[in-house]
Amino acid sequence: MSLRTQIEAYLTRIWGAPATVADLSRIPGGASRETYRLDVVCGGETKKLILRRDPPGSLIDTERKIEFEAIRSFAGKGVPAPEAVALEEDGAELERPFFIMGRIDGGKAQSPFSMPPYGEHAATIGEQFYRHLGVIAAAEVEGLPITGVCDSPAPDACWKRELDYWEGVIDADEEHPQPIVRACIRRLRANPPPPAQKLSVVHGDYRTGNFLHDGAGKVIALLDWEMAHIGDPLEDLGWAMEPLWCYGETDRVSGMLPKAEAIAIWEKASGLKVDPAAFAWWELFASVKGQAIWISSANEYRKGGFKDPVLGLSGWYTARRQDVILADRLAALEALS
Amino acid sequence: MTPTVPELLLGNFLCLMDPPPEESVGDYLQAKIGVTGMISMLCAQEAERGIEARAWENGAIRDLLKAAAPAYGQRFAEAAAGVDTDLSLAAMDRANAGLRRALIDLHIAVEAARDAARDTEIRALYVKMADARRLDLPPMPAT
Repeated sequence: MSLRTQIEAYLTRIWGAPATVADLSRIPGGASRETYRLDVVCGGETKKLILRRDPPGSLIDTERKIEFEAIRSFAGKGVPAPEAVALEEDGAELERPFFIMGRIDGGKAQSPFSMPPYGEHAATIGEQFYRHLGVIAAAEVEGLPITGVCDSPAPDACWKRELDYWEGVIDADEEHPQPIVRACIRRLRANPPPPAQKLSVVHGDYRTGNFLHDGAGKVIALLDWEMAHIGDPLEDLGWAMEPLWCYGETDRVSGMLPKAEAIAIWEKASGLKVDPAAFAWWELFASVKGQAIWISSANEYRKGGFKDPVLGLSGWYTARRQDVILADRLAALEALS
Repeated sequence: MTPTVPELLLGNFLCLMDPPPEESVGDYLQAKIGVTGMISMLCAQEAERGIEARAWENGAIRDLLKAAAPAYGQRFAEAAAGVDTDLSLAAMDRANAGLRRALIDLHIAVEAARDAARDTEIRALYVKMADARRLDLPPMPAT
């Protein structure tokens, strides 16, 4: 049975009326899940949708329920999150777990390999990008749908939970000894950050490439919430400013804004403060987390019989870029005393 | 560092062997082919520079381990013994794995001893190691 037929059978069942799929097309990106755009005609109405289905192998192991509930937590709440439509953790007619969300047309995401992509709109997009992240950080966690599927750590345990998790990924998936990231992990453990000033929803993959903009300076959708969790809001800020996502630029974070300006926008929107020492910890952590993802990608590439070139590229080229960033960060730290 | 060049080029072949389902042609297939091209281009760089980078890294780690052995133990000198006689990427990676494990152990010992000078030396080596293995993409035009 084709994927189109499977989707039609599923939607016809849950909507209780014949549903016809048109223009089903897999789209690049969203490497942790197969991502498809589709139009569905049902009851004389055309719905524009995105299907995210678990692949046989993935860039990162994530729970689709968390992504679904994270989107539900912020749709219509002042940030451009898409509408959550349906979730099937057992796969139903589609045989693998999936969820469906509303599609926001008219936007494009930027490849991490392209030249600085925002042109004259860089500062305008940057203002929205960091303001939206501040709004997410400011949201009171209690009562949000994501709290039904994510634990809330103690404020002083956020850093350890994340570091333990990503070190565990490296322990499980490392295929060649990685002295640089191991040294960074030891430094992080030896010098923990202060407790989180507030527990927030952490998007988990908030960066260039994971939002859509309309080409005229407007951010229209925040995507890829699959690593969302509750934790220290500085975690997202560190990940957003990770040099890997800065298109090689050193004077503008995310290829958008000077760092101080981006932080000021985030602070104003979140009502929070960026403690430099705490933020330095989360910046180094972001590079460690990145390397853990690329190490895991290489492992998945091999397990999947080398058939997903995105996993291969991530586990090789991107891992080496990450090592350069990690080594530079480590060398810049204070000497042992 | 994995995956290897032979695996990547095999993967480029395998991922295009199976006819794609109808919903995976168009943008997705174009992007996939683009990534395989990018991998091929980077494999050419690895073929050109990879041996030299590994020979340098293995030598630099051996030198550091030998220099540290009087203070940190003979096992580091033993780990540094040998030379790279088989200059294939696979053989040099096997030697490199052992040397890197010894380097990790040495760095842990250096940190425990609060040996700031050698810690700085090791961190400087990491910068050179990462730089020697870097792969360079030409600038990609924005779309």
